[in-house]
Amino acid sequence: MASIRRVKGENLYIRYLILSCWGLFCLMPVLWFLSIGFRPRTEIITAQPIYFPTLSLDAWHMIWSDWPMAKYLRNSVAAIFGSVMIDLVLAIPAAYSLSRYEYRGREDIGFYILSTRMMAPAIVAIPIFFLFRNLGLLDTIWALMLVYAAINLSIVTWIIRSYMTDIPRELEDAARTDGAGDLRILWEIIIPAILPGIITAAVIAMIFVINEFLFTLLIASTPDAYTMSVALANFTGGSDGVIYNAIALVAFLAFVPVFLVVIAIQKHLSRGLTMGAVKG
Amino acid sequence: MAQIELKGVSKRWGAVWGVRKVDIEIADKELLVLLGPSGCGKTTTMRMIAGLEDPSEGEITFDGEVMNAVDARDRDVAMVFQGYALYPNMSIYENIRFPLRMRNVPKDKQDELVRRAAKMVELSDYLNRKPGALSGGQRQRAALARAIVREPQIFLMDEPLSNLDAQLRQAMRVQIKYIQRELQITTVYVTHDQIEAMTLADRIVVMQGGAVQQVGTPDEIYSDPANTFVASFIGAPPMNLIDGMIKDGNFVADHVEVPDVGIKTTGQIRLGIRPEDCAVVSSAEQRHNMKGDVYGVEPTGDMTVLTLRVGEKNLEIKADRDYRSELGVQENVVFDTNRLYFFDSQSGERVR
Repeated sequence: MASIRRVKGENLYIRYLILSCWGLFCLMPVLWFLSIGFRPRTEIITAQPIYFPTLSLDAWHMIWSDWPMAKYLRNSVAAIFGSVMIDLVLAIPAAYSLSRYEYRGREDIGFYILSTRMMAPAIVAIPIFFLFRNLGLLDTIWALMLVYAAINLSIVTWIIRSYMTDIPRELEDAARTDGAGDLRILWEIIIPAILPGIITAAVIAMIFVINEFLFTLLIASTPDAYTMSVALANFTGGSDGVIYNAIALVAFLAFVPVFLVVIAIQKHLSRGLTMGAVKG
Repeated sequence: MAQIELKGVSKRWGAVWGVRKVDIEIADKELLVLLGPSGCGKTTTMRMIAGLEDPSEGEITFDGEVMNAVDARDRDVAMVFQGYALYPNMSIYENIRFPLRMRNVPKDKQDELVRRAAKMVELSDYLNRKPGALSGGQRQRAALARAIVREPQIFLMDEPLSNLDAQLRQAMRVQIKYIQRELQITTVYVTHDQIEAMTLADRIVVMQGGAVQQVGTPDEIYSDPANTFVASFIGAPPMNLIDGMIKDGNFVADHVEVPDVGIKTTGQIRLGIRPEDCAVVSSAEQRHNMKGDVYGVEPTGDMTVLTLRVGEKNLEIKADRDYRSELGVQENVVFDTNRLYFFDSQSGERVR
């Protein structure tokens, strides 16, 4: 505490200078995307770097007019949010059971859930394709939601479980003697108490699937189910060659939704990441 | 308003006994304290009364009705926990209202009851705060308000004061006792603090190793202990225990002799004497029962705790407030022979 108060005058400037440099360094890829995205194709691949390129909206117009970019963006957002919702609905009760009830094989079940994450995706790719084909869900965002949810379910369950384990048992005992049943306890006591943890798990899940490519490509065969990550691949082949400025803009657009979510819940996120380490 | 009975109640986890065949009857409106060191089974006993733990054997009844199969939330008990267990996301108002909401008390009645309970524990000005913004004492009072708000049949308090500092603890003790008398609710109070037990209880149950050692009023527990465990657990400093022999009706031990103790048995025995029933005599010629060298002198203001090295043992004596001495000085001590206790040296049971 004292050391923060002692920082005055010059010290503070140095601190801001260092933090600004670090911020610039972290944001560099994003700035670079924007710089490439808004310059003409002729200024992208050159022998000498161009520090102050000409502003060009060619790529910007192209991605919106030549491709259904809004649809891809919508597909991405819907599939990701849908999958996170599915994860939370399944993981919260599972984590509650794993952290609170005593039964035989509890640890084994917990490990089994985690082990689903250890499998190489290629092993299940073909079965999943057939599964969704038989269900008639190929090329829909519903299938994407389910696959994304499956990818993250184990990790979300484990994160939430560890937060639940940290909640004092007394809290539940109190609620029980106050007259609450299991579901009320879960809904009114546990979930609010670990909300930062749930948010943390949700954000980590989103980050994991925003760039998902393999299963998306497998399931999506038309723009109906294309997401931003698959859309990126549109600009690498074909008669036009690799369209770098369009790729940069699409990559930037794919980054924006998660970025906005993280900004919105920043407070909870930092609390969630440190919770458990510091006694509340 | 309820009378509680535990009949042969045990709790076992595999081969480990938490509580072993406990029989306790708790009268309506009584404040009963379960007292014992940590791990003695007192909290487990209370949790079984609350319904948070199922007994492995035996029966628990409220007003003659068997409660074993009744869920905690249907037992109409309210519990106060050591760690307060306030719901961190709710305001103090919402915390106190929670049990009313769970029991579907009419909405307009809820507000009135919450405010009344808050007033009883002097928290009316803090109702909008979150538990995190309150001090330890205020949190404890909030937990108390949550317990009293719906006037349950039974109060259960699990070491509610042990996280508070000494001064606050004394004030809260008085408040708890006052509220309990006012509301006339049967209360079971768990503590390891003998002062709390002595000051609060109508009756004390002393427990050790999962079993009841003695049940009695604070006076009975203090002046008529059933065995060496109870004798040495209650009292600060604890009762002095001296191993010796009965010879020709006299008690004899290393540096200790008490004539005509009136015990019929002979052979090995353990003598118990409380520190306040010993007195230092000023000259060696006077009649005395024990000799020892001064090992420690601790003035506490209202008295001086004198520790004497007697043979291989340290024994404590409550001496006059202005008693002072140097280490190593030999002192002679006389016992109040009306207040001697004898215990079997093997079993520790009282010998009368």
